[in-house]
Amino acid sequence: MTPSVRRVAVIGGNRIPFARSNGPYAHASNSDMLAAALDGLIERYNLQGEKIGEMAAGAVLKHPRDRDLTREVVLGSKLAPETPAFDVQQACGTGLEAVILIANKIALGQIDSGIAGGVDTTSDAPLALNDDLREILLDANRTPDTAGRLKLLTRLRPGMVVPAIPANEEPRTGLSMGEHCAIMASEWGITREAQDALTIRSHDHLAAAYDRGWQDDLMTSYLGLERDQNLRPGSTLEKLGKLKPVFGGPEGTMTAANSTPLSDGASTVLLASEEWAKARNLPILAYITESQTAAVDFVHKREGLLMAPAYAMPTMLDRAGLTLQDFDVYEIHEAFAAQVLCTLAAWEDPVFCKERLGRDKPLGSIDTEKMNINGGSLAAGHPFAATGGRIVAGLAKELSDRGSGRGVISICAAAGQGVVAILESAGGAK
Amino acid sequence: MATRELQGPPGIIPLYAKAALPMIPGASALPFVPGSGKDVPDLELVLPEVTFDPAALAAYNRVCGFTLRDDVPSTYIHVLAFPLHMALMAEPNFPFGAVGLVHVNNTITQHRPVSVSETLSIKVTASKLRPHAKGKQFDMVAQAKAGRTIVWEGVSTYLRLGKGDPSAKKPKGEELADPPVSATWKLQGGLGRKYAAASGDRNPIHLYDLTAKPLGFNKAIIHGMWTKARCLAALESVLPEAYKVDVQFRKPIPLPSKVTFGEEITKDGIRFAVKNARKGTPHLDGTVVQVPAKKR
Repeated sequence: MTPSVRRVAVIGGNRIPFARSNGPYAHASNSDMLAAALDGLIERYNLQGEKIGEMAAGAVLKHPRDRDLTREVVLGSKLAPETPAFDVQQACGTGLEAVILIANKIALGQIDSGIAGGVDTTSDAPLALNDDLREILLDANRTPDTAGRLKLLTRLRPGMVVPAIPANEEPRTGLSMGEHCAIMASEWGITREAQDALTIRSHDHLAAAYDRGWQDDLMTSYLGLERDQNLRPGSTLEKLGKLKPVFGGPEGTMTAANSTPLSDGASTVLLASEEWAKARNLPILAYITESQTAAVDFVHKREGLLMAPAYAMPTMLDRAGLTLQDFDVYEIHEAFAAQVLCTLAAWEDPVFCKERLGRDKPLGSIDTEKMNINGGSLAAGHPFAATGGRIVAGLAKELSDRGSGRGVISICAAAGQGVVAILESAGGAK
Repeated sequence: MATRELQGPPGIIPLYAKAALPMIPGASALPFVPGSGKDVPDLELVLPEVTFDPAALAAYNRVCGFTLRDDVPSTYIHVLAFPLHMALMAEPNFPFGAVGLVHVNNTITQHRPVSVSETLSIKVTASKLRPHAKGKQFDMVAQAKAGRTIVWEGVSTYLRLGKGDPSAKKPKGEELADPPVSATWKLQGGLGRKYAAASGDRNPIHLYDLTAKPLGFNKAIIHGMWTKARCLAALESVLPEAYKVDVQFRKPIPLPSKVTFGEEITKDGIRFAVKNARKGTPHLDGTVVQVPAKKR
């Protein structure tokens, strides 16, 4: 039997303001923050006691004690405890991938409603037992006799009290994400000025969105924080130009301003079939119509670590029968200003599009005035898995405000992966 | 009634020291030592501006099992009011020392959820002494306001063991079956010290076996208010927005312990109980009933 495919509606979202690492959420765990974001979503859409089809969420930095993180958060919430849930992890693609997984189940008619989410803390980081110590303890557990166990003690070293700290580092290259992006920026000739200009724009647009109350039905305050803590509007090229590079050596172009800071936060999105929304009188903001993931070989073929969205996009566009210019709004996740600019340059480049994407013509340029119009990750901060939900809810609201139109999302992720998706306004694509 | 406004929460440790002095025979005759009064003082203590420290709240939530939400657990406001309980009991004309009092009952009414960003004013008074079957009892009555709205009320009943009044024995109500067990909790030996650090209630009976012994306990016992908080944490997803939660503390829980938590949810409210996992010794009985919610 071929299942029929239904339209998947975005009803809305809720997130907590994003905080800088070791800021106001220093003592909040992933489950605390995800619960806070979910509480606000339940409140906003009257989901108390509601049995939701399924909830999917995840965290990039996840503590081993958080087995079934999402399900535990559901059990502590006002949702019906019969709501199933599962955890997702795809680096910074986690949030959008969770949305896609839930959307696909709704499209296939397996569930009628679902919640997607993501959360990350870099403050309450999951330190693990030192790996050498862990091995000794496991060996001790396997050793039957006391003498054998005592012998194992001779392997103990003082340095083993140092825990294993999660590193923002690619296991196969030993380079951090920023260092990888600095290589990309240099290969694509992305200037410091272009990165700083994009950064200023991100902050100013997010500040404007707050000032006109646009964020009010997208978030609930948490632990005294009402706006994203990283937001610093009104900067200038001159001011940002004074910052020292943090990636790519002394000649590097990437700074603490044009790279996202380590952040803490959580987001959730409510998705449903049209019938489910109608039965509850919940207005539909937008529909999720397409999505795609891709991955690149950044290890042996030396593709840029964060270039995968450039590959995912044409595959998705071809399937949707659209061109890159057919969108009214573009949401390109600003992991680093340089990542956004490299991606745009790649789509414009005939050689890249021919040799890497196998296309006769480049995808072409976009009107950057339509990009990240309500601010991006550079301003809001980027709690890894929470970014996808922030972008989906914000884009759906923007498309709803416009009455019609189409938007596209592009998110890069660690390990050479990328996730893209298309949303259409509930009022139609055009 | 006299009202005394405090600038900040009084330090608990000196208060405990003062509260323990009446244990020394004759000390109550001294002017600064509690124990001289015939009844509890007619005094109201007020903390006019109480704010929440998210780090302290997070530590409290972790030890009690609460999720760190933007709304604070109703038992946490008791923690903020507790220094006032202690200060009142350390008054020179307080009829006896606080150390050695038994917390027998605690009722909290949450009229609406309180956000961590709110500023509250908290006042505490004491009710008159009244007879109890095993001594004398009185209530510490606390009230928290946000602006002019009463958002939270707490009543802690303390028993001073002594010459009782058998006629004060409560008539036995209808015996209800134990609520079915839904969870088993393992309480570690250091739990009293952890809760003491998170709540500020450093009564020596909760800290070490050695410090509990002189006060008549073979082992350190966990704070009754921890047990109450742990129960509310277990019920967090089913608590109404506004509710009254009433618990009776039965036999103290020695540490370490393994206890069971039982709950029964009906349309009238929630009944819950904590018992020793092996022997079934009753430790706590409680109920939650919904009350009309006030607007934020």
